[in-house]
Amino acid sequence: MKKQLLSMTVNGEEVNLAVTPNTTLLEVLREDLGLTGVKEGCAEGVCGACTVLMDGNPVRSCLTLALEAGGADIVTVEGMATGGNLHPIQQAFIEHGAVQCGFCTPGMILASKALLDRNSDPSEDEIKTALAGNFCRCTGYRKILEAVSAASTGHTEPRRKE
Amino acid sequence: MRLPPFAYHAPDTLDKALKIKAELGASAPILAGGTDLLVHLKHRLASPAAVISLKNIRTLKGIEVGADSLVLRAGTPLREVAAHEGVIRNFPLLVKAVHSIGAVGIQHFRGTIGGNLCLTPRCLFYNQSLFWRTGKGQCHRTGGKDCLALKGSESCQAICSGDTVPVLAALSAQVTIASAGGMRTAPVAEFFTGKGESPFNMTPEEILTEIRIPLPWGPLSSSYQRLSFRSAVDFPLINAAVAAILDKGKVESFRLVISSAGPAPVILKELESAIKGQKPDPAMLQPVREAAIKAVEGAIIENASASKEYRVKLAAVAAVRAASEALGLENQPS
Repeated sequence: MKKQLLSMTVNGEEVNLAVTPNTTLLEVLREDLGLTGVKEGCAEGVCGACTVLMDGNPVRSCLTLALEAGGADIVTVEGMATGGNLHPIQQAFIEHGAVQCGFCTPGMILASKALLDRNSDPSEDEIKTALAGNFCRCTGYRKILEAVSAASTGHTEPRRKE
Repeated sequence: MRLPPFAYHAPDTLDKALKIKAELGASAPILAGGTDLLVHLKHRLASPAAVISLKNIRTLKGIEVGADSLVLRAGTPLREVAAHEGVIRNFPLLVKAVHSIGAVGIQHFRGTIGGNLCLTPRCLFYNQSLFWRTGKGQCHRTGGKDCLALKGSESCQAICSGDTVPVLAALSAQVTIASAGGMRTAPVAEFFTGKGESPFNMTPEEILTEIRIPLPWGPLSSSYQRLSFRSAVDFPLINAAVAAILDKGKVESFRLVISSAGPAPVILKELESAIKGQKPDPAMLQPVREAAIKAVEGAIIENASASKEYRVKLAAVAAVRAASEALGLENQPS
């Protein structure tokens, strides 16, 4: 199988590499670029753990051929923090205990970022719809909803329990 | 899960794509959003020589509202369809159907309207991993000579599961199909063969290019109803759509389509003449219920995660709910 050239931007850096056509975006990010924050859960588009942002849109990296991402701007969870400071969504996940085993967390955070970038003050229903394709098998959904809500602009009072 | 090896073509014009298709035919499936195709490849339900990506073909993306119809290019992402002002204004049932597909991460950017129409029919015995299937033997679609769900069936009875299928059929949409030899159009209702192993009336050299929905000629009153176990990342157990024209308190036209029953959507034709010309009346719902059950009883078999008996009942519920909403008969018992 002949390799083809792939150029894309990953977390702000331009990446050029040769890949076989049957390589998924998930495999390139994890295996060639070492970005293991991208998780492979079900591998068939159901669980959302492999979610990355492609030109700002949440996509399933397990169902996206790497070559389809040619020219695209990819953001993984590793690209969220700036200058050593966590992104407000990441910070909110920590403060609200929205992480249990952590496997779904990168996908949850990126799906939340895609939502908040479009709608900075979503209702709870809008958050639920945006995260409906991301499964948490620890079932910690309540805390995740609280964290996303806390990271939105409409939220003023921190909702931390005593 | 790894993909089987294949070559990758990403032509930048439809003509180039059609040339490749003319040469490679069925051994080179179309890759639009890939949310259905890649799962098939991972399950080894297909091992193509090549895939033809539509990524670079700009003429296959976009929506246009013309004088008499709305044109959805086949490669338009689902989210663009649901967010388009012309679609929202004219066809709210299509917006609802698109929102119920998969989840945001699938609708946004990747999944396409053409891909949803061409979703490969699904079956409990087919949409499984290679490992799972090796314990069951082969069926019509995997090289065998029988159906694992219905012994003795001459063809595959897998389920047409696209959310937009009943909606597009109820709205009398047309598909445009291109090949190296030219273009042709066909009604969505005739696009489906009723055979799961070759579900679409398309040759291996053809590509679906657009879906054309005629603009309503009067006040459209419509409904899309879907019943499934989960509200996201799940295929419908049954779905139904009604497109009716209600003018001056009378039903000028009425079309009810039930899908996710068998390999093709079912149009309840006999209801169309029975309801046309009448005033909406709760008494219409009993014939709708009976017609729905009669229509799907022959189409539904034991090949989904719910039993046949249950799905037949659901078909009646979905049909009555769709008819109630479209005819303004809300709050009627279903």
